[in-house]
Amino acid sequence: MAEKRRSGSAAEPKAVKAESDEEFLCQAGVGSQLRAALLKLVEARPEDPIGFLAEHFTNEASETESVGGGDAGDGDGDALEEQQMNKALWHLRLAHHSQRSAFNNNIRVAYDLLSRCGSARRVPGGVQGRLYTEMLRCVCSDSGLLDAAAATLLHHLQCHDYEAVPFELFRQAVLTCTSFSEYIRRARCLYAAVACPSDRPAERGLCDAVLNALREALDTSHGPDASRYLEASAKISPTELARAMAETRGASREREGPGMDMREFEDAAAGLFLARVRVVH
Amino acid sequence: MRMNADRFTVSAEEYLAESSALFYLNDAVTQLLEHREEFIQFGIGRYFAEYFTSVKNGSHILFREFSYVKGTAHNRTSFIHIFWKCFRQIGKNRDLLTMMEYTSLLQLLCPDFPAEMLQNTAKIVLMEDAVDCPMSLSDFIYSFQIQFYFEEFLESVLVIYEDLLEGKNPNAVIVPTSESPETISSEETDVQEGVDSSVLLKCIEGLCERFKHKHPPLPAIKEALESCTRVSYYGFLMALAKHEGISQEIGALPNRSDLLIDPEMDQELERLVAQVAISPTSNSSSSAQGLKEPCRKPSPRKSLHQRKRIEMESDGSTEETDSSEN
Repeated sequence: MAEKRRSGSAAEPKAVKAESDEEFLCQAGVGSQLRAALLKLVEARPEDPIGFLAEHFTNEASETESVGGGDAGDGDGDALEEQQMNKALWHLRLAHHSQRSAFNNNIRVAYDLLSRCGSARRVPGGVQGRLYTEMLRCVCSDSGLLDAAAATLLHHLQCHDYEAVPFELFRQAVLTCTSFSEYIRRARCLYAAVACPSDRPAERGLCDAVLNALREALDTSHGPDASRYLEASAKISPTELARAMAETRGASREREGPGMDMREFEDAAAGLFLARVRVVH
Repeated sequence: MRMNADRFTVSAEEYLAESSALFYLNDAVTQLLEHREEFIQFGIGRYFAEYFTSVKNGSHILFREFSYVKGTAHNRTSFIHIFWKCFRQIGKNRDLLTMMEYTSLLQLLCPDFPAEMLQNTAKIVLMEDAVDCPMSLSDFIYSFQIQFYFEEFLESVLVIYEDLLEGKNPNAVIVPTSESPETISSEETDVQEGVDSSVLLKCIEGLCERFKHKHPPLPAIKEALESCTRVSYYGFLMALAKHEGISQEIGALPNRSDLLIDPEMDQELERLVAQVAISPTSNSSSSAQGLKEPCRKPSPRKSLHQRKRIEMESDGSTEETDSSEN
């Protein structure tokens, strides 16, 4: 980069007259490019602002270059679609879903990007079902879910290729996928905590106690949201879990009970979550 | 550069200020205007993409002016990191270099890098006397890191320190900001005696508040000061330089024990050396002495032990080195 800058004005001097700096910037559209970038930056507030800008400008550049290349012929459609998909996924990764307003914002950006895709085959009123399912699949595989669990979730959420997906469904589905990944990550941590000497599988009795607590927490389904959250978090608080585990320990005195491996625990935990995901159809 | 989670609670202006995005956009536009013919051909969108990618990778500070190199914390980290990458081999060869020699190495990467910063670094390593003595790369680089990364903070600490030495009441002291070079140059005061560490720590705690986070983490400062009851300014800086936690926080250098370990680069070097050894023009004895760089420095340099080798080719701007011969 720096060398490039140093290499002097070897390039043929184009018809750049004594043009003032402002005129030049204005003509080249630099002002609007920078304004757009800054707005995006402030909107997304990424953790790594410089990486964000690098990615943003790279996206923009490859977009203008591809538009300049072939004028939106149908052959370019797939490449363009893939590009839009990558951009959409990138936006979804910018903020953690617990930063709810930022995350919702990014979902909106992703939704707009995808609904502009494939103008020839465009469905009015939303993102194509095909793109929607494809994107959810990418979100799931990005976050390190096991294939089986991801497949079940996608089966619940997917819709037909020809359908148009409205924003609210899109948002809910993305949120479900990211929450599910987070939930599975937490479940793995739980298992690791239960399987105390980490080289042996955890005791089945203890795992069952933890899974039970988890089920009860997920079953708090009455009352307004805020109080449900409080109730649920009280039910899986560390003390509550410790109490449940201590009880099991007290009931069965023998030290070496049957074990449960990580995979089985994860599947059971995933099952609890998946049973509560509403099927789209 | 990582922003923390409360970035969502501050105002947009604060977020931008913290991110130094405006600093880089400003520089990118300045560069663009200076070399507009070139970049029009290159594509302006592509130019911005390349610019920010190089900032992200840390290669953007190479051969840039000093004011840019020290412009942001990320630039400083990148510069320290690149210096280490380029001249790591000096440490591997156990060569010792003088301050002037380090100055010319730094100036290969940043032509207007001020020698003054190196003098201060040498004072840390050599505890303020005999600043012409040769230093090992690892001693040098950790001290340089502290001096360069926390320059403004350390200047203010020096002002406090000197006030304490003169016996002024530290609580009544109004510390001038870093833009007052004349107060800093009065170093002939008797620093050997030092000051009471706990008093210095109290004053530094107040200072840290004003510096927001452009200071070493307070727990690390405490650790550095707690080891003895009295401390001299350069003794304090040395303790900071040796503190692994601070170095990790800056994130430019590995731990001291890993400083010279880089198997990837070693392999690359071995490959190059093998190539040189095979080629008929090379001196066949070179392989017997272990690793050798393929390129020697063309400019005349005083070699302390036998020879000096560095990984980068000189751009010839290193005449000052000769004055270190005495």
